[in-house]
Amino acid sequence: MPNALEVRDLHASIGDLNILKGVDLTVPFGEVHAIMGPNGSGKSTLSHVLMGKDEYEVTGFASIDGVDIMGMTVDERSRAGLFEAFQYPTQIPGVTLDDLTAEMAVSNPSDDGFEQRIAAASERLGMDRFRSRAVNVNLSGGEKKRTEMYLLGVASPKIAILDEIDSGLDIDAVREIGDMIESLRSPDRGIVVITHYSRILAYMSPDRIHVMVGGRIVKSGGSEIAEELEAKGYTEYQVANA
Amino acid sequence: MTETPTLGSTDAAWMASRRSAAVDRLADLAMPSEREEIWRYLDLDFDPDIPSAPNAPGGAGGRDTVLDGWHGDVVSIIDGFVVTEGVPTIAEADDEVSLVGDDDLFSTAFTAYAPGAALLTGDQLTSQVLVDVQSTSSATTFPGVHIEVPGGSDASVIVRFRSTTDVGATVVPTVTANVGDNARLTLTMIQDWNYQTRSLGRGVISLHRDASVLFNEVGLGAKLGRLHLDINFVGSGSNAKVYGAYFGEDNQTLDYRYFMNHIGVHTRSDMFLKGAVEDNALSVFTGMIRIEETGQKTEAFQTNRNLILSSGAAAQSVPNLEILANDVMCGHGSTVGPLDKDQRYYLMSRGLTPESADRLQVRGFFEEVITQIPDEAIAAWVRDRINGKYVAAQQEGRV
Repeated sequence: MPNALEVRDLHASIGDLNILKGVDLTVPFGEVHAIMGPNGSGKSTLSHVLMGKDEYEVTGFASIDGVDIMGMTVDERSRAGLFEAFQYPTQIPGVTLDDLTAEMAVSNPSDDGFEQRIAAASERLGMDRFRSRAVNVNLSGGEKKRTEMYLLGVASPKIAILDEIDSGLDIDAVREIGDMIESLRSPDRGIVVITHYSRILAYMSPDRIHVMVGGRIVKSGGSEIAEELEAKGYTEYQVANA
Repeated sequence: MTETPTLGSTDAAWMASRRSAAVDRLADLAMPSEREEIWRYLDLDFDPDIPSAPNAPGGAGGRDTVLDGWHGDVVSIIDGFVVTEGVPTIAEADDEVSLVGDDDLFSTAFTAYAPGAALLTGDQLTSQVLVDVQSTSSATTFPGVHIEVPGGSDASVIVRFRSTTDVGATVVPTVTANVGDNARLTLTMIQDWNYQTRSLGRGVISLHRDASVLFNEVGLGAKLGRLHLDINFVGSGSNAKVYGAYFGEDNQTLDYRYFMNHIGVHTRSDMFLKGAVEDNALSVFTGMIRIEETGQKTEAFQTNRNLILSSGAAAQSVPNLEILANDVMCGHGSTVGPLDKDQRYYLMSRGLTPESADRLQVRGFFEEVITQIPDEAIAAWVRDRINGKYVAAQQEGRV
């Protein structure tokens, strides 16, 4: 059976600046992985590059459920089953969340489950009062992240990459997001949580933790890695990879 | 409908003498020049053919979506003639009404050749009024509307301009309003002439003590659609909210010259216009906030945002401030640029095709001003028209 996400020797640069220097990553269906790393290690770039943002020069390979996504546009990758939850979700003035989810359904005519997922995700996350408001406009940090989780529920992707979903949140909101992520775990889905801090991992049970430093994944393992990073920080890896 | 009298035959004495003076002066007036700041950016190389003003209205156009969705009163003006029974004109009124001076070729021609602006006051304003202004031929015409809102009362007027044929014409519409002490006017103007017609429009709104106006303008049609608007904050405490939405395509020029003249104390103006241009269209917005020495405690703001959707399209956006008082608060903002890349990326990451992402972004861009249009049916019609133009431009590969 193919994996939810398969990444091989992924390189990305902007001009002369090499950001990703050969990333390998395998996320099987049903698993939740965490990628941890210091600022500037390339974590957010990895999620944008996988989504297909056009500002990078990219080489390497990535597939979702065995389908090569490298030649695909951003929207094709989304329809192939990739979802990126943004660290800084973009404001779309004048467009309500309901307008957006309606267009998501129209853009994906082969999927007839949108209506049901909109109702279910709205109920689960208490989104009713946000649905007629403009997307990410005048929302608090926590409300924006909740909106991203709602859209994830509506999209129902095969692989979800959550970029710093815990940044800017107070401890109760972090716990809530952790619970939401666990509730999204499914045999038909892989999840990647990108974070600097181990605190969100306390509210989840990641199957694997990857440490990213200097544009590469330098170590992978179980929950012991989070504990080790909590105690020692990233310095050891940064020195080793300098 | 009554038999319509010929031009000038029912003029009151003051109007007859004003008209004949204007006819005399016209002989000496030339076309304005694009070297004058207020006409800058425009192509004025055309013959307005003023003597072609007709003596009688043409045949009325049919009903349409706007009229079908309308539940208030309707006043019809065809080729400059008020054809709705029981609606007087300012030309036959006992007292002189003149908010627009005869300061250039077009305003002077209006005085000389307009049969008379529809005079809306008292009884005509008890319910919402839609003024349906039609141009039916290539004749140059001078339709006018004057709204006199008595002190302490509310009025709501929509003026919709349309062509009933594909023939190009020159039209000089003039809409004026006098809003009395503590009175409120909601005025919406929809410019929907055909793409061969040049419209040299003029608007003046005078606000008296504690009067307010909510003004919306929607620019859809015309080869040249111009509106030179003055709002005069004469009375203390008067205020205006001014919104605009315009969408230009083809070789259209949509031209807005807005002047907020703050004279009384404690007055406030907020201008907020949003426009998009594609194909070879040009839009112009010059907004002037002028605060007289007497206009202390004025608060005045203007914002103009423009989307450039095709490489052949252009937008000029020029905010101006002229402040003679020393205790005021003013602000202005102006942007001209393409659709937002981050919004497109975000929407595409949710599975939207680039076309639907851009469509949604354009719809959202205009929503902020369309929602200010007070009548829901009219707002829905405007929304469909603007978004329809963008969808057509996508389908025809212009954006």
